[in-house]
Amino acid sequence: MQRDKFFREIENLQHPNETLVKTHCSYCGMQCGMNLRVDTRTNKIIGVEPRYDWPVNVGKMCPKGVTAYQQTNHDDRILKPLIRDDKSLKGTIKGFREASWDEAYDLIAKNFQKLQQAYGKDSLSVFSGVSMTNEKCYLTGKFARVALGTRYIDYNGRFCMSSAAGGFLRSFGVDRGSTLPWTDLHETDCLFIAGSNTAECHPTSMFRVWHVQERGGYLIVADPRETPIARRADVHLDLRPGTDLALANGILNLLIENGHVDEQFVNNHTNGFEETKELVKQFTPEYTSEITGVLPEKIIRAAEIYGKAPNAVVMFARGIEQQHKGVDNVSAYTNMALITGKIGRPKSGVATFTGQGNGQGGREHGQKSDLLPGYRKLTNPQHVKEVSEFWGITPEEMPEPGVSAYEMFELMDQKVIRGLYLLCSNPAVSAPNSNFVRKALKDLDFMVCSDFYLSESAEFADVILPAVTWSEDEGTVTNLEGRIIKINKAQEPLGESKPDWQIQVELAERLGRGKYFSHLKTAVDVADEFRAATKGGYADYSGATWDKIEKQDGVFWPCKSEEDEGTPHMFLDKKFYHPDGKAKICALPYRPPAEEPDEEYPLRLTTGRVVYHYLSGNQTRRIQFLRDMCPEPYIEIHPETAAKYDIKHEELVRLYTRRGEAIYKVKIIEAIRKDTVFVPYHFGHDQSINLLTNPALDPISRMPEFKACAAQIDKSIKKVH
Amino acid sequence: MKKRLYIELENCIGCRSCLAACTQCGGHEERNRNYVYDVNPLVNRQTMPLMCLHCVNPACARSCPAQAIQIHETGAVLSALVEKCIGCQNCTIACPYGIPKFDTEQNLMYKCDLCIDRTKDGIPPMCASVCPTNTLQWLTEEEIEAKQQQFNLDNGKWVTSMQYLENETNVKVNLPGILQGVTKLF
Ligand code: SF4
Ligand code: SF4
Ligand code: SF4
Repeated sequence: MQRDKFFREIENLQHPNETLVKTHCSYCGMQCGMNLRVDTRTNKIIGVEPRYDWPVNVGKMCPKGVTAYQQTNHDDRILKPLIRDDKSLKGTIKGFREASWDEAYDLIAKNFQKLQQAYGKDSLSVFSGVSMTNEKCYLTGKFARVALGTRYIDYNGRFCMSSAAGGFLRSFGVDRGSTLPWTDLHETDCLFIAGSNTAECHPTSMFRVWHVQERGGYLIVADPRETPIARRADVHLDLRPGTDLALANGILNLLIENGHVDEQFVNNHTNGFEETKELVKQFTPEYTSEITGVLPEKIIRAAEIYGKAPNAVVMFARGIEQQHKGVDNVSAYTNMALITGKIGRPKSGVATFTGQGNGQGGREHGQKSDLLPGYRKLTNPQHVKEVSEFWGITPEEMPEPGVSAYEMFELMDQKVIRGLYLLCSNPAVSAPNSNFVRKALKDLDFMVCSDFYLSESAEFADVILPAVTWSEDEGTVTNLEGRIIKINKAQEPLGESKPDWQIQVELAERLGRGKYFSHLKTAVDVADEFRAATKGGYADYSGATWDKIEKQDGVFWPCKSEEDEGTPHMFLDKKFYHPDGKAKICALPYRPPAEEPDEEYPLRLTTGRVVYHYLSGNQTRRIQFLRDMCPEPYIEIHPETAAKYDIKHEELVRLYTRRGEAIYKVKIIEAIRKDTVFVPYHFGHDQSINLLTNPALDPISRMPEFKACAAQIDKSIKKVH
Repeated sequence: MKKRLYIELENCIGCRSCLAACTQCGGHEERNRNYVYDVNPLVNRQTMPLMCLHCVNPACARSCPAQAIQIHETGAVLSALVEKCIGCQNCTIACPYGIPKFDTEQNLMYKCDLCIDRTKDGIPPMCASVCPTNTLQWLTEEEIEAKQQQFNLDNGKWVTSMQYLENETNVKVNLPGILQGVTKLF
């Protein structure tokens, strides 16, 4: 067990007639350890108790974590399969009737088969998510390719982690979200954090962040807003949304000019330094300032601090990744660590704040349109051969790579895709340009949605299958450190709900593909098959047994055998995963956001989260405490900008872009750039900011540009409902 | 080993996890008992918790005509006793911080009891257990002593223990700010 200075030996309070089930939070990538309180008389989850001995969060939780248990026995749970016969009611909550599992499965099988007979295998699609266990993520990939035989599967990680994945693969040849464990963070000397509202999105990192400053270390934050973490930063780089690449290049240039390059490291362990040096030369502090809007002195100071720090960690999140150059941003900030050699040793490295609970593991095992288990590639014939053999199909039967999440909606619009099996995601709220996305969903010939609440996306379904919440099943997830951890079952599924792996096995049987699935009778069966499937891939989980996870407080991948204890620190041997063992320093020319402000749309719109809600809000908006704290979205605007528009605090305004519009309450605050407005994205229907966001995709990660587009405010609202 | 609640206001990020956790305490009937304020909401995102300080000679208890507010042997100033509270609301006015809350339906005052079912056995209260920033900490006397040495306190006293307030309190609040006197590493 790892014990750092924050660890305290504390016994839990044990109430009579209760047991505590050790598990982790259902929400973000921190995957905070927690105990669920279960009433032994009713066998129901009734509360939460801190898990003081989990090394990452030592008992701490954000308000989402504290109230997460309330999801399981919530009144809004879907308890039986629902069928809607009247297609004209699609897009509303009306018209659903309760049905048996048999009737639901029959209807799904009939419609899926009908569509595939008429329009081919690829007329069906699977859209999934990574707020579920590795085992489920793995099986979803297999289900799409083996049970449905379609190429079209992708997942909501395209709106979350795909740019980080793309950037890390290019820079390191491997995509593990953090090169070091979180328990190192408070011991570093400088944290450089870009595009992460850490205090609201990964709150339980904050005690470590503040401790760096308490020790006399530095905190540098790049964000268009003075977020709660930026408020106390030593340097706040208050850049324009969408200009990170210039900032990173500018800092790189200063690091090189001021002699902070670790020549030996660069020569022995990297490629690409010279051309990068050449490219970043033009990014003088003045030129960088012109693009980013950050004062030159601040850029100089930030580079000086990072350069001089004996140890430093570069961290980033969706702020830099949800751009149409997200992959470049990731590689550009990663360059800072590579040229200074501040990587491949304890207390130094690079990390992304993984958004979803299993954002790391869920992207590794074959839910992505071009990936197979163990981070194998569909474009690599050897990989296809290995996985086909494992699944018992021929390589010819393995579908080709499909398209990315947003592009699937385009194919629905073009009637290439006609059926959808949606699980663990709510794209009617979370996808960009929602007017288009919602229409694509509505026009589908047949749609199945699996969820435990009736989400905004479920409103478009013909059949809704009741899934379980995270605490009614067991399996592993991989947290933001790359640590594989165990989610434990705390109560039996409510009503007739079932875990998604079981739904997929039973559905496969209906579709006549039972021989590939019927042996999976328990969560343990799925786990065993999953681990075996990853063996030999570079995200190798084969040695990460549940026993070992329990004994070691999690296992960091890669973990290749029973004896292997896993890999908390990456690259300690200075070996990267490109064939020549070297990392790549990337020369990346600057590109502005896909949509720049102009006369008609003079404001920069950026979006993000609040501490009380998680992603599309389908879960957190139903939790009383969280809803009380943040019941509705708002538009954050600087007082000077507000004065220009003559709008007042708490007044309602119409915000619009080339794609859509919505009405928001004004929140005036000086802690935002004057040229930028901010709206949180957790809200559905006509409150959704994604009605306005830009689906311009990153060429590599296919990540939409949620974080920067051009907008305008109109203060004359005729009628407010 | 006696432990106390210790507050480093400057760490607060306003997540209100302390309030959410307060509802989780066994004896709290799922109602939270403290406050978190936005210090200057139109300007910045500074927030601060306002917790009961568990005064050694508490104004709330002194003001109570019915002796409904008991002081536990640990020093925790407890919530009003159901059988004694007459619902006069003196305490809500007497407390300089406005901590006691009032339930009009039950005609009963309720307030922070430092999660007495936990702290009587040395288990940290819920708020300090979950606070993700270490704004709220549960520390031993020695640890608090060390904090006192580290910071430049007015007359050597924690600000909340001043005479013009309620004198000595069981909860210690750091106002100078935790970065006071920190020497930078380089
Ligand atoms: S949402 Fe994230 S930070 Fe909050 S308790 Fe859950 S895992 Fe921890
Ligand atoms: S839990 Fe801690 S950081 Fe969050 S509001 Fe309360 S005191 Fe502040
Ligand atoms: S802070 Fe107020 S409620 Fe708490 S003990 Fe002191 S006087 Fe009573």
